[in-house]
Amino acid sequence: MKQQKFVRVFMFVVLFVIALGCSAVSRAQGSLPRIAFRDRNLANGMRVLSAVDHSSPTVAIQVWYHVGSKDDPAGRSGFAHLFEHIMFKATKNMKSEMMDRLTEDVGGFNNAFTNADVTVYYEVVPSNYLETLLWAEADRLSGLTVDQPNFQSERSVVEEEYRQSYLAPPYGMLEYLIEQQSFIAHPYKRPTIGSIEDLDAASLENVRAFHNTFYRPDNATLVVAGDFDPKQLDAWVDKYLAPIAKPSIALPRVNVKEPERTAERRITHYASNVPLPAIALTYLTPSQKNPDAAALRVAATILAQGESSRLYRSLIYEQQVAQSADATPDLREDASVFYFNLVLASGKKPEEGERALLAEIAKMQDAPVAAAELDKAKNQLVTNELRQRETSNGKALSLGEAAVLLGDPNRVNTDLAQLQAVSAADVQRVMKKYFTAANRLVIYYLPKTEQSTSYLRSSEDQTRRVMGGQGR
Amino acid sequence: MSINKVPNVALISLGLLVTLFVTPLSTKAQVATPQATPPPPAMPRSAQFPKPVEKTLGNGLRVIVVERHGSPLVAAQLLVTNGAEVDPPELAGLGNMTANLLTKGTEKRSATQIAEAIEALGGSLDASARWDSSRVGVNVMSSKIGPALEILSDVVRRPTFKEDEVERLRQQTLDDLTVELGQPGSIARYVAARIVFGDAPYGQPLAGTPQSIARIDRKDVVTYHGRFYRPDNAILVLGGDLKAANGFKLAQQYFGDWSKPSTPLPVMPVSKLPASASPRVVVIDKPDAGQAAVLLARTGIRRKDPDYYQGLVTNSMLSGYSGRLNQEIRIKRGLSYGAGSTLDTRREVGPFLASAQTKNQSAAEVAGLLLSEIDRLSSAAVPDLELTPRKAVVIGNFARNLETASGLVAQVASLALYGIGFDEINRYITNVQGITAGDVQKFAGAHLAASNASIIVVGNAKEFLPALRKQFPQVEVIPVAEMDLNSALLRTKQQSN
Repeated sequence: MKQQKFVRVFMFVVLFVIALGCSAVSRAQGSLPRIAFRDRNLANGMRVLSAVDHSSPTVAIQVWYHVGSKDDPAGRSGFAHLFEHIMFKATKNMKSEMMDRLTEDVGGFNNAFTNADVTVYYEVVPSNYLETLLWAEADRLSGLTVDQPNFQSERSVVEEEYRQSYLAPPYGMLEYLIEQQSFIAHPYKRPTIGSIEDLDAASLENVRAFHNTFYRPDNATLVVAGDFDPKQLDAWVDKYLAPIAKPSIALPRVNVKEPERTAERRITHYASNVPLPAIALTYLTPSQKNPDAAALRVAATILAQGESSRLYRSLIYEQQVAQSADATPDLREDASVFYFNLVLASGKKPEEGERALLAEIAKMQDAPVAAAELDKAKNQLVTNELRQRETSNGKALSLGEAAVLLGDPNRVNTDLAQLQAVSAADVQRVMKKYFTAANRLVIYYLPKTEQSTSYLRSSEDQTRRVMGGQGR
Repeated sequence: MSINKVPNVALISLGLLVTLFVTPLSTKAQVATPQATPPPPAMPRSAQFPKPVEKTLGNGLRVIVVERHGSPLVAAQLLVTNGAEVDPPELAGLGNMTANLLTKGTEKRSATQIAEAIEALGGSLDASARWDSSRVGVNVMSSKIGPALEILSDVVRRPTFKEDEVERLRQQTLDDLTVELGQPGSIARYVAARIVFGDAPYGQPLAGTPQSIARIDRKDVVTYHGRFYRPDNAILVLGGDLKAANGFKLAQQYFGDWSKPSTPLPVMPVSKLPASASPRVVVIDKPDAGQAAVLLARTGIRRKDPDYYQGLVTNSMLSGYSGRLNQEIRIKRGLSYGAGSTLDTRREVGPFLASAQTKNQSAAEVAGLLLSEIDRLSSAAVPDLELTPRKAVVIGNFARNLETASGLVAQVASLALYGIGFDEINRYITNVQGITAGDVQKFAGAHLAASNASIIVVGNAKEFLPALRKQFPQVEVIPVAEMDLNSALLRTKQQSN
């Protein structure tokens, strides 16, 4: 969106793919500087990762809670994300929005995001405010005191977020369907944003229960990156975070296993405000911890990053069958979903788009990618990661992801080797293994007003259509 | 979409600058445990800004290099100092099509070869026209900046604009517009530009309309490129992990023999605002809109207005997470995911826009809140307790924008484009700090008066029209099917209701 975003925003898969998609180190010219970090485990179960960088007098503070929308309570889809918003309301020692006073008002900023697996809170402040922010993070981990009016008001904000992300933009509901329809058993089938109905049903009691269950030191990882003195950090961590007691109750974990798909499934969805028909194909792939994840990232890059990518070149440039074409390896903790989405070029039928896309997938299965194409993809992935690591906050994101989602903070420095080791044969192998008809979900996303008409139109029709939006 | 942009923080600092004038929070002694109040900040650390250096090549090309080492990345941007504002009225979108076509073929590379070459380096070429400039940018590892600049130079200097590429891009642009005009927020911004600037250049849709895009042919593109893409009308900015001497050497190598045409430089158009820009209240009725976009629009100021800093701080009173618009609309009332404003300063007077998206039923309430907040700013002085943190926000954002190679280059490019000296970077903080509550009130009264503001609402009119009409009896309703962005009339037919 062109409008500036200044909100605690719902983290939608794509960003995470960028963050997750690119842990990389390199040999030769494209080498990533190592992130030197310290790893502390407190007695209450909290993990503290820190990386010093004095090049700027700022510091990034992140708290990763290992709880995401897959942990939404029954009948409360969207709750983990709603809860994220509530964490900026009143706590024991802070009034609502005090986090903004401690960050924005001194020239810093804060934000947070929720996805299927994690909820992450972050602040970037002038480094002399580090102690203040550690105090504040400790305070909201210790408990919330939000009242009913503030709760309801923030719930309305989240409902507007739902509308802004999914109802207002033309293909918002297609994104929603991809999330919702790709899984049938695992709670990943609940989109992170949830539903208005379930959000309306959420209560303050749910907030208290959720905090008690998941917001605890043994479910939290603190990441500090930037300008600080390690000894002083240790002392402040000992003072503010170490005293928070670990609850004795067990931490619930989702252990539903998504069954393998056995036959292709097809869905046609008719919606209003669909300027051009669109399609999506989704394939289940394993957890991001699976060694195949690296080859899947490389495959997605070859397929869809940039104008030299295979989908751009074939579907958009040569055949002109698509207005846009994306491939996303949406890597997740328990099981991943690799999806393609195409918006069709005007006058093109969804069947044509699907055929063209399947042909490109088949090419990746039938022959190994060229060495130059493979190198290009690796260069793109390394450069993406370098850009992320230009900032302390970006470095902290890479570190937190490695620790919390990949289970080992060292992977922030070792994953590149894994990526560099991906061969053309690996890419071909994963393409053959996962991109089968039986493992495919096909979604046609079509305009409601044209439920029974042809998509072929002349360019004059096209013009009228642009001017006329979705005319009834 | 609601992607949380990963913020960029790196080398430049905000510590000192900001904390200098922000009173440490609450050191009020309380009897409580050490945890009851936030610990105060420590002593701030000082900050340093990188210093751009500049040379002009023999052909008139301005070259600026700004070093900042630490991350092995370099960003480069070639600006032509004209963009969509010089599009002929019937050919809106010409500048943007020209920029987009640069990467679609040169004398020695096809479109596909260009994409392959630059992406093999890990980067991509981003070419587009904006208001006041056309830009081609690239961001790569420092080890690859030489080959990247060779490609950048090739596309800027030797594009072939093949007929089939023009046709392909025309179709793509039409489809892109089709998708974009499905967004209530996009429609609202296009309509706002027409209302504020009428038929003057900034009133045109930057990427054109379906009708104007249909009219543009290869000859127009070649003419645009010939007139404006010349070294004495361009600026090259390099920033990040490279030495200035090396930057100048690369510039000479790839742009030194770009010959300057013998014809004089094109004359800049003079801004012509509509003679009587009387405010309007316009509803674009889009019955399938899942949310309404509400926009307040009026003229703002030029980039070189002497009140620029007053404008920045005044806008920040309204905008940003804790700005008044978001306070009133999101935080207090839960009516939107986010409300804010922009003071878009350009070579000539640009727009001031305040906006929020909300459920259709609350669109009238949000319109009223936008207006009353703008109004409140000129009717009463802001308390210092509110002003000081908003100035910190402006300074913090400025410093963070300089923290990545691409952000640094964008900032320097903007100063260069508008002919502002680079020492401005070091004066920025002092200038912001010097703004008083009186300045804000004066600026709001002189430049942002609500009485001259138009309101645009794009959404399902039947949900909000009765309430809106009570506040604004003069409201014009245009069904989206009859909306016409080609003129300030905004509609294809006579009003029928």
